[in-house]
Amino acid sequence: MSVAERYEPTVDADAEEARQLRETWKSRSGLIGWLGETNHKKIASRYIVAAFVFFILGGLEAALLRFQLARPENGLMGPDLYNQVFTMHGSTMMFLFAVPIMEAVAMYMVPLMIGARAMAFPRLNAYSWYVYVIGGGLLYGAFFLNVGPDTGWFSYVPLSGPEFAPGKRVDIWAQMITFTELAALAAAVNQIATIFKYRAPGMSLSRMPLFVWSILITAFMIIFAMPAVMAASSLLALDRLVATHFFNPAEGGDALLWQHLFWFFGHPEVYIIFIPALGMVSTIVAAFTRRKVFGYTALVLSLVSTGFIGFGLWVHHMFATGLPQLGQSFFTAASMMIAIPSGVQIFCWIATLWSGRPRLAPPLLFVLGFVFIFVMGGLTGVMLASVPLDIQVHDTFFVVAHFHYVLIGGAVFPLLGAIFYWFPKMTGRLMSQRLGKWSFWITFVGFNLTFFPMHILGLNGMPRRIYTYRAETGWGDLNLLATAGALVMAFGLLLYLINALSSWRHGAWAGDDPWGGEGLEWSVSSPPPDYNFQHLPTVSSRAPMWEQGPDQPVVVGLRSDRREVLVTQLIDAEPDHRETLPDHAIAPLAVAIATGVTFVGVIFSPWAFPIGLLVTGIALVGWFWPRDESRELLEEQP
Amino acid sequence: MRPRPRIDVASLPTLAFGPRAPLWWGVASMLAIETTVFALLFATYFYLRGNESLWPPAGDPPVGPATAGLFLMLLSVPPMVMTHRESGRGRRLKVMRFWLIVSMAIGLLALGFRIAEFGELPFRWDHHAYGSIVWAILGMHGIHLLVSGGENLLFMALLFKGPVEEKHLLDLRLNALYWYFVVAWGIVTYALIYLDPGVLRS
Repeated sequence: MSVAERYEPTVDADAEEARQLRETWKSRSGLIGWLGETNHKKIASRYIVAAFVFFILGGLEAALLRFQLARPENGLMGPDLYNQVFTMHGSTMMFLFAVPIMEAVAMYMVPLMIGARAMAFPRLNAYSWYVYVIGGGLLYGAFFLNVGPDTGWFSYVPLSGPEFAPGKRVDIWAQMITFTELAALAAAVNQIATIFKYRAPGMSLSRMPLFVWSILITAFMIIFAMPAVMAASSLLALDRLVATHFFNPAEGGDALLWQHLFWFFGHPEVYIIFIPALGMVSTIVAAFTRRKVFGYTALVLSLVSTGFIGFGLWVHHMFATGLPQLGQSFFTAASMMIAIPSGVQIFCWIATLWSGRPRLAPPLLFVLGFVFIFVMGGLTGVMLASVPLDIQVHDTFFVVAHFHYVLIGGAVFPLLGAIFYWFPKMTGRLMSQRLGKWSFWITFVGFNLTFFPMHILGLNGMPRRIYTYRAETGWGDLNLLATAGALVMAFGLLLYLINALSSWRHGAWAGDDPWGGEGLEWSVSSPPPDYNFQHLPTVSSRAPMWEQGPDQPVVVGLRSDRREVLVTQLIDAEPDHRETLPDHAIAPLAVAIATGVTFVGVIFSPWAFPIGLLVTGIALVGWFWPRDESRELLEEQP
Repeated sequence: MRPRPRIDVASLPTLAFGPRAPLWWGVASMLAIETTVFALLFATYFYLRGNESLWPPAGDPPVGPATAGLFLMLLSVPPMVMTHRESGRGRRLKVMRFWLIVSMAIGLLALGFRIAEFGELPFRWDHHAYGSIVWAILGMHGIHLLVSGGENLLFMALLFKGPVEEKHLLDLRLNALYWYFVVAWGIVTYALIYLDPGVLRS
């Protein structure tokens, strides 16, 4: 492939090509068209909206918990409802908000950032979204029917086993896990194939945007971590539904086995949530200091090593279970070690800010808030890695404070910054900066008012997951402060929401590149056309928008009369071959419904499994059977 | 405005095999997921074994049907390799069909022996934890045999009915890859459940 001729399109040829691309990639109209949508940006937008709906629901549950705990012996909720609400809050935030929202933002942005027209498996994206929504719907449907799970988001046996948790509540939880993890796995597989094979010519691995790196590493973590929770929740469901004995010590089973399987997933899960946020932070820091991030290689290596070390920490959730001392020491060391790559990244960002010219727009404010809060959470994390301290504060509010600092600070703040940053690309309009700054400061202050007192409450001995406490404990004042802080924080988040909703309709027009960003996503219109790029870009720099001249070649020769994409080589992203992506299809919905009926059905009868398998198989045949107009046919046909 | 230089990709091929193809990465990722699931079930097996002084707690499982099933699974591989190779070179439908049918028939027979294997086990899944994990592992692998068999059936229907597109050659090869994967886990599963307690320590 040589850069032979100069591309001299006549205006007509260009316009005609654009018209054809619009026609080829456009969404179908009507309900069937809506249900059969496969465009990555449209599916991702639905994903983002659904995830924020769950975020609001999870937030309302959090508010209920805070109201209940605001004063001693409060009677707002009884123990049973309280158990359901805190289980719903944790499960919603972890499984229905944190992981899906990160996957969703990536699903929207990654193809734009790597210069691709689509993701590798468009129908798989649609399937992922449907399965996710069915899982979330199942959980909330059950909750409103008073069958909400009540054994906490990690659902320890024997509490969640058949003996102590009769009824269907835990089964609902276990199947919701299966749905959401299936959705995340599908999205991760799609990301890996897309990032490896669809990068624009010239975007070698060493030029890949840091956000894309973070999503790639997250996808690999999902692939090796999520099966553990699916296996664990399936074994739990088997114990409950067909009387197996995996977790039943009386028949040779083991309750700790659950904790091992769950946390082998559960700890990497934290990094699955957190690593995409690190990618967002690097993106925002670069854009708002107007320089490339300091220490690209160090940042990538930190992300990779975080991905590996993240799998060697799970036992630190189990220090209170009396494990062998050598094992405890190993996991203490690993838990402290993970502070090193996190520290390297923080210093790289500080160096970038120091040597750049920071513009304190809301996205950067959210990132600075992240640095402050996350460092606090990281410090309590290092404290908790020490066994004696962990045993002292195990299952107290100290731990609650720690993981909210890490998760809200480490993931929600960067996410709010990133949504603010990419909102104009997604909608074509800017969010209000003034309102953005107000929402940041109010959320930031409210957050610290809510969660800082919990450190002290935990050290004072207040256990987590109690529905009330006596006045003599002296915990009342700090709890009231935390509840007041929660109201402040909720107000800040409400402002953010109002800002987003009103800007969606009435915001100022953004243009293609309102922030002067460095990545390819800013080279296309806002919102981007269905086909993303009329001519695929090529890349010769880590910051293509800043450093590439007008002589940077573009790719031509992809067909515009079908959904053709360019496949490039894994390491160097040299053009390799072309392939045609499938069109809209209703099949992903059919398969999602079939899997949904199967997983929900087995709660009531084991026979749902073989029947569901058969129905799913039939639906899958519908998915794969070729029925579009024929393409490259073999010479020999039956 | 000065026109931009261009790279013309119109002459690039529309078909590639192996790690060059995005679908290969999709299937490889799926195999990584399923490998993790098997590995976790095996880890569970060993974890539970650590709690028992006598393993298996209820006598050795009978090895007969499992051995026959394993033999058949291994026997089904060469014809699958023939299909696989034909999809790359000759691309003759008749040859691909023939070997696919042979491999699939042997595979279905192996699935039959798996069902017989369940019938021969002297314990049920609800007798003890050992029974639970053995049924889970054999069941998990049995589902793989079933699903992979169904996939073979789908491709056979495609090869008989058409239209057969070039990209289906890639699909056929990945289908073969999946079958090798299922057979490979069949070998390891057999070693774990039958060789570990029954043969190696007797």
